Amino acid sequence: MGPVHHDLAGGPTFEPMIQIDMEIKTFVSAWRHCDYVSTYMARMVSQNRSDSVRHSNLFSSAFNELLEIAFRTRHADGELACRVSRHGATDRIELKFPCVPEERQFYEEAVSQVAGFEASERYLNSVSGDLAPSREVALLELAVDYNATLRVEEADGGAIKLVVDLPLEGLQH
Amino acid sequence: MSPYDLLPRFKAQYDANNQEFSISGVVRPQGIDELGPSIALLRDAIGRVRGVLYVNVRRLTQMNNAAFHAFSRIIIDACRARPELKFVVITSSVVGWTSRKFGRLSGIEPNITIEEYDSQFYPGQGFLEEGRFVPILRTQTKMTWRHERAILPRHGMRAGMVMADICCGIGDFAVLVQKEFQPSRIVALDHSISSLDYARRVMREFDIRGIEYTYGDASEMLLDEAQFDLVTCRHSLQIFNRPELILKELYRICKPGGRVYITNEKNSHCLGEPRAESIRWTYNEVAKLFGHFEMDVELGPKSRRYLIEAGFEDIRVETFMVTNLDGDPQDFADVIAAWADVYAGEMATRRGDGPEFVARFRQGFQDHIFAALHPKGYAGWPIWVASGRRPQ
Repeated sequence: MGPVHHDLAGGPTFEPMIQIDMEIKTFVSAWRHCDYVSTYMARMVSQNRSDSVRHSNLFSSAFNELLEIAFRTRHADGELACRVSRHGATDRIELKFPCVPEERQFYEEAVSQVAGFEASERYLNSVSGDLAPSREVALLELAVDYNATLRVEEADGGAIKLVVDLPLEGLQH
Repeated sequence: MSPYDLLPRFKAQYDANNQEFSISGVVRPQGIDELGPSIALLRDAIGRVRGVLYVNVRRLTQMNNAAFHAFSRIIIDACRARPELKFVVITSSVVGWTSRKFGRLSGIEPNITIEEYDSQFYPGQGFLEEGRFVPILRTQTKMTWRHERAILPRHGMRAGMVMADICCGIGDFAVLVQKEFQPSRIVALDHSISSLDYARRVMREFDIRGIEYTYGDASEMLLDEAQFDLVTCRHSLQIFNRPELILKELYRICKPGGRVYITNEKNSHCLGEPRAESIRWTYNEVAKLFGHFEMDVELGPKSRRYLIEAGFEDIRVETFMVTNLDGDPQDFADVIAAWADVYAGEMATRRGDGPEFVARFRQGFQDHIFAALHPKGYAGWPIWVASGRRPQ
């Protein structure tokens, strides 16, 4: 556990819990790394939740989708940094990975659509439509099925940081 | 190649008799081509059925979006091509995301409905999970604990071990174990949300650490394989209609070399003096009453057979008798009074028993209480303890 993290934007204080960094080259060398990392981190952060097994299952399910998005960027250089912090019932995932400017624009647009009031309808359309699932759909699903809130943050060195707040502890059975 | 790569991650099968396609495990493919045989199986199943196709995802622990869309696409297309065909997706309340994710499908196609599998699928157990039963469950545990604290070490209980208490109910046994034996970790699972709420409240109020209460179905647990040194399951196999399914799961989560510990009753052997005849008659009827609701409260002596058939070795069996001489006889009497309320009350009514039968049935419990409180009386409730080792 590191020091307490103060949100500079004046938001709630999230306390760091765990961070995993790997070279993106190593990460994208095997698809199963998404499963490994999401499962491992889910177990670690769920230990002191009211229902650790259920929380771990939900967390892994959501986090894996984010890791699969990072995996599909297929960059050869740079780092993948996954960090989880906590404020009360909400867990924050910060996922930093290499990104070119065009991709950054894509993520910014995708995240703004996720925040829109029609997110649920867009998600249903994507499931019922003929198109293959996209990265945008994965982000939509996090908002619709896990009540997640998402944003994109600046990151240095040709990288992007997705910040996803997951209120899993409050999700009803 | 790591052992991880050798494990089958998911399994899809089709049961023609039940018109049920089921998929279980972790389905996180990189590409849809990895799902080829499963997709083909689903298409084939759709082609064969008439009326309803059940899609069982109860044991689906993970599925990524790529896979979800692939399977959903086929089901949605089938709904549009064959409007007469209905799909029932069976999810689990235990796997939190499945009902939310698959539930979206019913908003797309009205021919798709979602059924959440939960505790209602266990016949009769609702009788025993009412909130008003909590004080009696606590008293029962207090009475059995006097014996079990001495018995448990003979069945593998050691300090520092990792243990699971499956069907933990209100969690009082886990708390007693934590205090007495200090295992390094206890995972306590039950499918009654109200019982778990109670357990968590107790844990908070008494600042108890080291117990993780989790919601789950004992016959299909989310817990990983081979992770516990000791798995306990008390007074529970006897109230499941298919105890062998639970035992299979207890075996799965137990480490090789670890032990599974079960306790069960043989209700017809409850006894008392004086008024032994009336007491014997009533408890024989208790066994029949539970049998009517597909529960076997005569299971105790069958424990050895169940453990052997589940694949355990080094089976150890012993019995103990909770009696009115263990502590305060009034505790014993209170437990019997609570049994009478439920058994001769709601359960007998639900079976359709007449007033004459109920009066005689209730009398046996009253006689048992009489024996327990009688200055020269003796009243007993026998329990069978059994444990087996999972082979290395």
